[in-house]
Amino acid sequence: MTTSCFHCLEPVPPGFSAHVQFESQPQPVCCTGCQAVAETILAQGMSDYYKFRTDSAGKVEELVPEQLKELLSYDNADIQQDFVSQQGELQEVLLSVEGISCAACAWLIEKQLLGLKGVARVDVNTSTHRAMILWHPQQCKLSDIIKSLHQIGYKAYPFQADDEAAQKQTVAKAYLRRLGVAGLMTMQVMMFAFAMYFGMFSGMEDNFEQYFRWISLFLASPVILYSAMPFLTNAIKGLRAKQLNMDLPVSLAIFGAYAASCYATVMSVGEVYFESICMFTFLLLLGKYLEFRARLKASEFTANLQKLLPLTARQLLPDGEQKIVAAKSLQLSDQIMIKPGETIPADGVLISGSTTVDESMMTGEHLPVKKYQTHQVYAGTINHDGVITIEINKVGQNTLLNQIIKLQHNALTKRPKIVEVTDKVAQWFVACLLIFASITAVAWYQIDPPHAFWVTISVLVATCPCALSLAIPTALTCAVATLTRKGILIKESHVLETVPKLTRMAFDKTGTLTEGRFSIESVSVLNKNWQESDVMALAVALERYSEHPIAKAFTELVVSPRQLSDVEVITGSGVKARFGEHSVAIGKSAWFGNHSSFAQATLFVDGKPIADFYLADKVRNSAPEIINYAQGQGLSCHLLSGDSSNAVKDLALELGLDTYKNACSPQDKQKQVESWSAQQHVVGMVGDGVNDSPVFNSAHLSIAMETGADISKNTADVVLLNSDLKSLQTLHQVAKKTKTVIKQNLTLSLCYNGSILPLAAMGLVPPWVAVIGMSASSILVITNSLRLLKL
Amino acid sequence: MSIIYILIPIAILFVIIAIGVFFWAVKSEQFSDLNKQGHSILFEDDKEQHNKSNDRDKSV
Repeated sequence: MTTSCFHCLEPVPPGFSAHVQFESQPQPVCCTGCQAVAETILAQGMSDYYKFRTDSAGKVEELVPEQLKELLSYDNADIQQDFVSQQGELQEVLLSVEGISCAACAWLIEKQLLGLKGVARVDVNTSTHRAMILWHPQQCKLSDIIKSLHQIGYKAYPFQADDEAAQKQTVAKAYLRRLGVAGLMTMQVMMFAFAMYFGMFSGMEDNFEQYFRWISLFLASPVILYSAMPFLTNAIKGLRAKQLNMDLPVSLAIFGAYAASCYATVMSVGEVYFESICMFTFLLLLGKYLEFRARLKASEFTANLQKLLPLTARQLLPDGEQKIVAAKSLQLSDQIMIKPGETIPADGVLISGSTTVDESMMTGEHLPVKKYQTHQVYAGTINHDGVITIEINKVGQNTLLNQIIKLQHNALTKRPKIVEVTDKVAQWFVACLLIFASITAVAWYQIDPPHAFWVTISVLVATCPCALSLAIPTALTCAVATLTRKGILIKESHVLETVPKLTRMAFDKTGTLTEGRFSIESVSVLNKNWQESDVMALAVALERYSEHPIAKAFTELVVSPRQLSDVEVITGSGVKARFGEHSVAIGKSAWFGNHSSFAQATLFVDGKPIADFYLADKVRNSAPEIINYAQGQGLSCHLLSGDSSNAVKDLALELGLDTYKNACSPQDKQKQVESWSAQQHVVGMVGDGVNDSPVFNSAHLSIAMETGADISKNTADVVLLNSDLKSLQTLHQVAKKTKTVIKQNLTLSLCYNGSILPLAAMGLVPPWVAVIGMSASSILVITNSLRLLKL
Repeated sequence: MSIIYILIPIAILFVIIAIGVFFWAVKSEQFSDLNKQGHSILFEDDKEQHNKSNDRDKSV
């Protein structure tokens, strides 16, 4: 039986033995990182964390000296400018914290940081995974705060909130306030309304009834004039744009009935409808708020992503010294040094050193690109294995990355749209309602002038499109909640309506249909004296020491470990070590000059080639299935790849895709999708890289993989959290089901409104019947929507 | 029965106070993370022990 780690609950690897003391019992841990963290937590008297947490902690990774140095750069005032704000004497920062899983984490972090000298306030939000910290800059440094978080196992980095996110927060708060007022006041108004209903049957003194009406007017006014105001402003906005939207009948009913009820109260005539319109406002706000909150959660998740460019750069001064500066302060022809594994902070020409660079996020090409002197490198790409110096030749808006971002913004304004069902229904609903109300008014004016006004108002209240306007938001809320539970984040409200209408799906290759990383395709053993299993074991043991992207393909394999000594990593060649009597090495084929092959890695023993390893980007297991499903649903599937190799054609043939196009630049992808849209196709794009972000805004629907670049996740309408293509099938099925439920809801509510209309027009609907009818139809619609939660 | 002419306005006053408290709660972000607030009662505020262990660290 394997034991699990006390801290992160992952299995303890065999052979590793370390313990921490918890309530005088030794508890096993899986690595020295977890041990250090658990000991810190227990020593500081925060053992409650382990008692009450509801989720496991993440596995702890120890900081390497290089990362510590980067942390120190956060204390630099120039760099802090971007994310630290001054609050009087104190400084405030928002940190995005990785690894927060439950409320216990929030408690732990707050406790740990408040123990530091100089920290004034800590506020952790477990749903957004962010922490707001106020501190005295004289007594404590930002790097100390982040280091202190590392001690208890959390990785933190400064978060730069964009305006859009901040705006959404304000909207969410405004919704909550309006909802609170509507809820509290509706309860009061209902109470008096009930008193008046009973009064109607058992008799009530006139002065009491009049008093109750005034009280109801007083209590209902904030609900109408504050909570329901957005409906009116939206309706007016729609009218200005020459459109009849759903908010128009809603505000017509609310404000019409409110005005009439006020008039009735002041003049002591007719009927009052305060309780109907208050409840209507409350239900409607509730539906809209829940839908908004579900989408807010999705966008909060993607907003946490790190920026593409590093904040700092290592500048080489003319006197040969190195200085860490803020990346945005870099000027043309500055020289900067970039170490292996770092992201390149600016576009420039390589002036010394050589390396390979991972440009997959720009081009979709998955093989690292070799770079020598005079070659151009781009901001946002990752330097793999050499130390290089570059001279900056493009800054600001001119960098390739910013040009791609500009392309994406331009596309946003031209984005194709599908007319939403709500608007279509609203168009003719409003028209019918207005016509019917005027016919009623005119007819009653002929028959019974004093009653004409009141009957017309009761028509407006009775046909109040409560159920109708709840029909869509409630269904969407339930569907979005279901999808979120399945790891599919919906960021835009149009997604569920667009999905069933799709006619074409376009896929990116690397990272979308394929896994975007190398795995071993075949091994050819060159020396008969060696077994394949021995060769693999040695290769895995050696590659454990390498940072090269190819190494990951090996280290994922599980084999019995080999004991190596004197390990040496040779940049640009590979890894070398002693294994018993022999000297072993793994690296590029031409390393020792006695062997050449197309293999990506070769194993040498005593300088002689033993085995060649061929690596390839593996196709995702779920890819064939999802292509089959999509084609079965009548969607045509296309491949748009930035990769210029034959791999694109091979993949398209293997998966049976309808068409493929290779060597696409971001613009090419955009043009292709735009030309499809022009042919009246509804296009969905699935991708992951930076190079996909412009095309995302040209497609009707964009879907990003969780493993993809941050910028593409920010642009996309949908993010697949588990990066599993099968989720597309789930999304399609749920969207279809949602469409059915919405249709049923619309039919139900139109039936109700249609059947009560003639009764109201004949003057047979007293206020209490209107309230019951409205609530009953709303409950029916909500119950129907709730079925979507059980998918 | 005329007492309700006084009692109802007093009740309304309470409602207004409740709305005031609610607005304050929204402003101070009490609703931004419902999960955390619900659990906070479970944790002992063992500040004393916490400080003690800090002092011990310093003395070591």
